[in-house]
Amino acid sequence: MLAVALLAGCAAQQKSAGGGTAGVTDTSVKVGGVLTKTSASGYSTKDAEIGAKARFERANAEGGVNGRKIEFVGAEDDGQDAAKGDAAAKKLVQKDQVFALVPVHAPNFGGAAFLEQQGVPWFGWATGPQWCGTKTGFGYSGCLAPKKGAGSQTWWGSQMADLLGGASGKTVYVQTTDSSGSKYGGTTISQSFQAAGFKLVGLNSGLPAAAPPPDWLPYVNKIMTSNGGKAPDVLVSIIAGTKFNVGLYSALKRAGYKGVLTDATSYDPAILKDPASAQALEGVVAAPMFEPFESTAPEIAAFKADVEKVSPGATLTQHMAIGYWAADIFLDMLKKTGKDLTREKFLATGNGSYTYENAGFGRVQYPKDHNEPNGCGALVRLEGGAFQVAKSMKCFDNVPLK
Amino acid sequence: MILGYLLSGLVTGAIFAVMGSGLTLSYAATGVFNFAHGAVGFLAALVFYQLNLAAGLPAWLAGLLAAGVFAPALGYLLHLAMFRGLARAGETAQIVGTIGLTIALPALGLFVVDLLGLPSADGTTLPRGLGPHPALGFEVLGARLDTDQLITFCFSAVAALGLWAFMRHTPYGLRMRASVDRRRLATLRGIDVDATSALAWMLGSGLAGLAGVLAVPMLGLDATAYTVLLFASATAAVFGRLRSIPWTFAAGLALGVVQNLVAGYTDFLQEITGLRTAVPVILLFAGLVLLNRSRERVAGSAAEDAPPPDHLAGVPLWRRRLPWVAGLVALLGFTFAGSEYYVGLAAQGLVLALIFCSFVVVTGIGGMVNLAQAAFASMAALTCGWAFSAGWPLFAAIVVGVLAASAVGLLVALPALRLGGRVLTLATLALALLADQVLFQVDAFSNGTIGWALPALGFGFADTSDPRVRVVLLLTLIGLVGLLVRNLERSASGRAILAVRSAPAAATTSGLSGPRAKIVLFALASAIAGLGGVLFAVSKGSITATDLPAFSGFVWLAVVVLQGVRRIGGAVLGGLVAVAVPELLATWGVSAQVGAILFGAGGMILAKHPDGVLAQLAESRHRRRQARAVAADPLGPVAATPERATAAAPSAFAVPAQPVAAAPNASVPEALFRLDGVVAGYADCTVLRGVDLDVRPGEVVALLGANGAGKSTTCAVAAGDRPVSAGRVLLDGLDVTAWPAHRRARAGVLLAPEGRGVFPGLTVEENLRTWLAEPDAVYERMPQLAARRTVLAGALSGGEQQLLTLAPALARPPRVLIADEPSLGLAPMIVRQVFEVFAELRERGVALLLVEEKATEALAIADRVAFMRLGRVVWAGPRAEVDGDRLTAAYLGVT
Repeated sequence: MLAVALLAGCAAQQKSAGGGTAGVTDTSVKVGGVLTKTSASGYSTKDAEIGAKARFERANAEGGVNGRKIEFVGAEDDGQDAAKGDAAAKKLVQKDQVFALVPVHAPNFGGAAFLEQQGVPWFGWATGPQWCGTKTGFGYSGCLAPKKGAGSQTWWGSQMADLLGGASGKTVYVQTTDSSGSKYGGTTISQSFQAAGFKLVGLNSGLPAAAPPPDWLPYVNKIMTSNGGKAPDVLVSIIAGTKFNVGLYSALKRAGYKGVLTDATSYDPAILKDPASAQALEGVVAAPMFEPFESTAPEIAAFKADVEKVSPGATLTQHMAIGYWAADIFLDMLKKTGKDLTREKFLATGNGSYTYENAGFGRVQYPKDHNEPNGCGALVRLEGGAFQVAKSMKCFDNVPLK
Repeated sequence: MILGYLLSGLVTGAIFAVMGSGLTLSYAATGVFNFAHGAVGFLAALVFYQLNLAAGLPAWLAGLLAAGVFAPALGYLLHLAMFRGLARAGETAQIVGTIGLTIALPALGLFVVDLLGLPSADGTTLPRGLGPHPALGFEVLGARLDTDQLITFCFSAVAALGLWAFMRHTPYGLRMRASVDRRRLATLRGIDVDATSALAWMLGSGLAGLAGVLAVPMLGLDATAYTVLLFASATAAVFGRLRSIPWTFAAGLALGVVQNLVAGYTDFLQEITGLRTAVPVILLFAGLVLLNRSRERVAGSAAEDAPPPDHLAGVPLWRRRLPWVAGLVALLGFTFAGSEYYVGLAAQGLVLALIFCSFVVVTGIGGMVNLAQAAFASMAALTCGWAFSAGWPLFAAIVVGVLAASAVGLLVALPALRLGGRVLTLATLALALLADQVLFQVDAFSNGTIGWALPALGFGFADTSDPRVRVVLLLTLIGLVGLLVRNLERSASGRAILAVRSAPAAATTSGLSGPRAKIVLFALASAIAGLGGVLFAVSKGSITATDLPAFSGFVWLAVVVLQGVRRIGGAVLGGLVAVAVPELLATWGVSAQVGAILFGAGGMILAKHPDGVLAQLAESRHRRRQARAVAADPLGPVAATPERATAAAPSAFAVPAQPVAAAPNASVPEALFRLDGVVAGYADCTVLRGVDLDVRPGEVVALLGANGAGKSTTCAVAAGDRPVSAGRVLLDGLDVTAWPAHRRARAGVLLAPEGRGVFPGLTVEENLRTWLAEPDAVYERMPQLAARRTVLAGALSGGEQQLLTLAPALARPPRVLIADEPSLGLAPMIVRQVFEVFAELRERGVALLLVEEKATEALAIADRVAFMRLGRVVWAGPRAEVDGDRLTAAYLGVT
């Protein structure tokens, strides 16, 4: 009885707040982010905070957007825990009253459902499906986990084909870990290479996901004999974590592998600090989804200058770039929305044939990129202990995912 | 190729072998299954890394310091701070304590690294190991190995051999095994079990440290990877039946081979995500079910902890309920006045509280420790999401989800019928990991990484998107669960469960079905966890396979147990604490690692107060009241003894103090062993109320008395096995009251305890060696023991066991021998033999205190006799003065 009475009471005073102008004044827009600053595995995206801050400071130095300065409250840590990510999103929206979440860069982000329900825009990057099928989530690479039938990227395979002087007659082997996320990546990336003309000779998902295997022998044997008893021309590793790649590549090289090694995560200057890692990764072709720092593009020069101002002497990392470009897209969308700012108007701008191109990350097109990747990427090669641009940022047409 | 896989697998399996051996060692030696074994390994690896990198020491020296000095020292510290207390706490507290450490130790390490500004430990790269960096490769018989693997294998082999030799062929190893076999008896044989378990923890930690340092070039400084390694090694330990180090070692090597074969030849399993990774877990489960059938207890009874006394029993009902009612009113007030964010937090806390209620049912009432609760919650939520997306109405989907969880609970409960104690706990652990790694990876069930979206639950006039509605709904549900729990405890089936838990054999003979009661409990708890899981999903708006990871189930258990797992109040408090603490830490800007460290410290508190915060509060309130009552009591010193055994008290106090003032010759100075006005008892019940007794060398004193007179307690006090609250124990004029049992035993006070004083798990020879350096003298005296020297003592007949109990005393006579009921349950011929032994010992000048309920044999040999009644020696005198009247008086209380 009591419960029913209380419920009725609730109903009476429900839905009082909810206006779309939270975090917005005439002179400021408040934003904050969610990052995986700490995690049990040591993986950390905390540098994205520096990147976003660098971009916001530039905007503020230029007088803000439509007369409003960006008030960046910093980023919450989700500890790579979905429930904590959800709590962090709630804190930013309900307690800190931010207008939007920038940057969101957490592989296991759990706040998507809440943000979508509340109509709060969020900007960032992740390979997971959280960025897909929403109206509020704006990943700067789009949705990297498209559904079957939706567009899937071809840039990695195509860039690689260009780099190797054509794909015809070349074979590729894709190694993933034994988890549904990694297996899914294996499917899309195999397709990318096949679309570019490579011949797929193996797609293996046997590696344990939680920790590297004590023994690489069985995996290396499979790779070394996959191409009719010989090694493949290209090995693609869809494994999150440098240590997996270091282990796999060292074992492969010891077994005499001479082909191309490529993966999405090795573009990380921290690797160069350790001689063994650098040696294992020597020659690897990494595939970042932003213009490499070694590029001569003016956007990259601006990026470096902005970061140097906020955090002097900092080593550039991909997380910094992710934070920076996420903030950049947010600012562009904010500018295009105009002076009269509500979340509804902002989302209407973002979801109404919005296109923004920038040499730093290629191109985004919304609402299209809510359901498929933006199709852009670059290649860098580790040569003589230093990264070099192998292929600058370029966008390719997607093909439907089989 | 297969040869290469075998060889390479053997080499890499060495890491499981070392880790597993340490686990087996510490479990076998102390009875605590150390979930933090992997965390200790991680910490040692971290120290190795810092010594090498920050301090610039060469790798071999850093490794030596980390595994050989730091890890054993850590083991010793943990022994002092925690394990020592945990060994005597119930099993639930043991599991929770070590789980707390699993979280706290890595956090502590990383926090210190942060604080000191050392090179950060990046879990994503591979630091160097003991060998050359980068490792050099070479080929043996078609297997490509590297130097790190070779070093791992060599160190493991040396460690295993050394360990085996240590356990089998050194007195330390024998003492360790004796303490494991019968802890209490070991102290009576002069073994300092505390020092023994300290040694075991140091060795175990040292092995964990060695494994940690060896594994670092393979795993990186990643605490999770070390926990994964621990679980794989647990498989090896289980195949060693948690007892045998050689078997554990072999199983570890075999596990390496199996993993290689699975990786090499089972591509057809590739379609089922996670199945191949889960091979160690599947083996763990199989090993548990097939090999580790509990010999002691049945029907999954795990927690052997008796419920704590209800300190609030005397408090009126309204007063007991008052804090909770006040709390509820405050919470409701807050719900309707507080901001949306904080009310949402409270609602989240209550969701957890609802899930935590399932622990009250399964652990609090059922005495089973379930580590798979997160899997049940996840199972229900995912099933609900799946059913809803398949077009079912939301309410129906919720019901389906809850039913699914309870069905899985039923499936898990079935093996629980055969397993007991920790084995059941480990089985639920295996299940939790299996669900995470295989079941929830099935895309059709969990919808890949995206999961299922769920709408708010509507009631027509309001829905759960409003946190206030959630709070009210959850409070209602928790209230219903509370009623259910109360009815369970009071119902026939509840009593059946309690009966099965405290005395399985008795319950069975009374016609109570333990297994059925257990199954009902398990399924019910799973359903409650499932309901909580569904509400978690509904209030979040979606559920994915990773929202409720297996490890959160371990943390949950710890949170609830810290508050008190026997009552719903503990669950509610636990839920609220679980959301409030991180929020507070974040608000104050404290590192999340501090929270984890505090959580681990909770485990140390638990070692002292195994029943949790709530019970502790009630107890301290009780103590305060008692102290006040004592202060107000004019009788002072009398009341200062803890509560008296009520029935006996009036008559005992009616007797004037010092009624016998010791018999005439009691004051003779040559008394070798003497009890002087000893008061002692158990917890709140005083048994001995001023016992005076003395024994001279070469004399047999028979202590007689009816059942319950306090004879066995007198023996225990004499041997130092029970503490004394007043009075003194003197050995040769020296006050030994404060000496622990093992020290008294070393000084020559030997107690042959009631029942058989043998270590059933040790051989006859090993039994003798616990007291004798060289057992040959015994074999000459007792050829029947010589013939069976390699037989386990547990396999001897009752008579042989009693001879084995007394034999060491013959070969190396103690100064004082106390024999508690030595003739109990023995054939007359053996009894005669036993008393011959006593006579011989008397000849050799031993002071004998013989405790018997049956007077005849004891009187035949005794020089003097003491009668006990109601905790006092009521008469003591020469054998000659004992006649039928005195006997009658002593036994029947007739004067």
